[in-house]
Amino acid sequence: MLMKLRKKGAEADIYQSKWQNSKAILKIRKIKNYRDPSLDSKIRKQRTIKESQIISLVKSFGIPTPLVYFVNLEKAIIVMQEIPGKPVHDLPESKIIELSKEIGKLVGTLHKNGVMHGDLTTSNFILFQNTVFVIDFGLSQNTIKPEDHAVDLRLIKEILNSAHAKIMEPAWKNFLIGYKSIVGNTNYIKITKLVSDIESRGRYAAVT
Amino acid sequence: MLGLGIESTAHTFSCAIIEKKGKQGRILSDVRKIYRPAKGEGIHPREASRHHIENSSSVLFECLREANITIKDLDLISYAAGPGLGPCLRVGAVVARSLASFYKIPIYPINHAIGHIELGKLLTDATNPLVLLVSGGHTMLLAFLNKQWRVFGETLDITLGQLLDQFGRSIGFASPCGKNIEELASTSSNYISLPYSVKGNDVSFSGLLSATKSVAKKSKVDACYSLQETAFAMISEVVERALSFTSKKELLIVGGVAANKRLSEMLHDVCKRHGCKFFAVPLQYAGDCGSQICWTGLLESQVKRGVLLKDTLVTQSWRLDSVKVDY
Repeated sequence: MLMKLRKKGAEADIYQSKWQNSKAILKIRKIKNYRDPSLDSKIRKQRTIKESQIISLVKSFGIPTPLVYFVNLEKAIIVMQEIPGKPVHDLPESKIIELSKEIGKLVGTLHKNGVMHGDLTTSNFILFQNTVFVIDFGLSQNTIKPEDHAVDLRLIKEILNSAHAKIMEPAWKNFLIGYKSIVGNTNYIKITKLVSDIESRGRYAAVT
Repeated sequence: MLGLGIESTAHTFSCAIIEKKGKQGRILSDVRKIYRPAKGEGIHPREASRHHIENSSSVLFECLREANITIKDLDLISYAAGPGLGPCLRVGAVVARSLASFYKIPIYPINHAIGHIELGKLLTDATNPLVLLVSGGHTMLLAFLNKQWRVFGETLDITLGQLLDQFGRSIGFASPCGKNIEELASTSSNYISLPYSVKGNDVSFSGLLSATKSVAKKSKVDACYSLQETAFAMISEVVERALSFTSKKELLIVGGVAANKRLSEMLHDVCKRHGCKFFAVPLQYAGDCGSQICWTGLLESQVKRGVLLKDTLVTQSWRLDSVKVDY
């Protein structure tokens, strides 16, 4: 089957594909020759398992994700529903600020249900028909540890700070409003405190 | 324009002279003396600063002689004002201040990490790169946006340089241990599973360090091989993530660990995969040197007239993403 390459991602390639007459996405974690072969196969397999499991699991508590159609563990392939929207990363800045609240709610819902996404970037949220879909669960984990949830928050904060530096403040503020509305005040305080802890452990962070 | 740059953030005391004409820079001299701690030991800030004091005048003298100029020919002096070890930083600052005030030459405090990047850009053809800064003090992925270097990923605990040095010292090497580890690693291909910790665009090395130490009890060779493979694969992955996220078409690697051949081989492959050009700072200028400080000072002189003597301080903790770049 000849497939069109849609995106060369960090750890996987995304192809346009078909699954029983409907449009689909084929995600393949190809062998990386620069890695030691046994490390390479361990990483590719583990992430394919995690992603396919968690992408389905989180649906049960209302997170919009693509449907998984097919998994081939040997080749590290997942075939899933195509979400034909636009990544939040590519939307106008005012829209990103607005959607940050919804993203905060989605992340809050994941955490509340014991799931850490592990790769929260604005490219991993897709706006389609007024719904924000979450994708790319390759680095996600089942965890209720507040430290892990704080790592998630720090990640998205880092991305806002670098890729969306101009709108960092309003976007981060909205994210936190959305997040807090789901996890509740006590958890919110605990986790944002841990985010500051992680930041203060950073290299050459200002001592306050 | 003739500039003198003084570097003394950690184990290296170095003076360099660069001549700047338009956008071009020519390094006329770059002299270094490096403090070497005993085998198995780390850098002792007091001992290192003593070493710098003892060597400062000979390094300065040698650097002027090689460039064939006198202090009076200088248009500006820059020094590394941080981040780094306090006692070491102060030595460079004192030398710079004395020269600047006695000879009335404009003085520039420079961020050491920015220096690594700017020198890398001068010595390669990179124009708008994603920068991987890997050294004893830093492990960061950076891209320039809106007058500042922005961090797209970094270590959450120790740096790649510290990982290699601390492990190396634990098996009896003398710092810096990167080269010894690389040599041992090249004799093995037996991979032993180690913690692989990538968190989005960030990495964490502390668990890897402890685990590798315990593997080394059985086989030092396998430990070196597996450590390099794991740590470098983590770095390569976050580089891939940042490349695909930023759509940059150039990668520039700078800092002491840039000298590691296995790492640059892996990153070469990453770049090929992403249709991206690979640039590495020349080996001779990968480690800490006066040139990085001197060149950045010369760049700053395009927009600033130097600072007052009372503002020529040093800052041990000084993140490069807090520096405004106006040139």
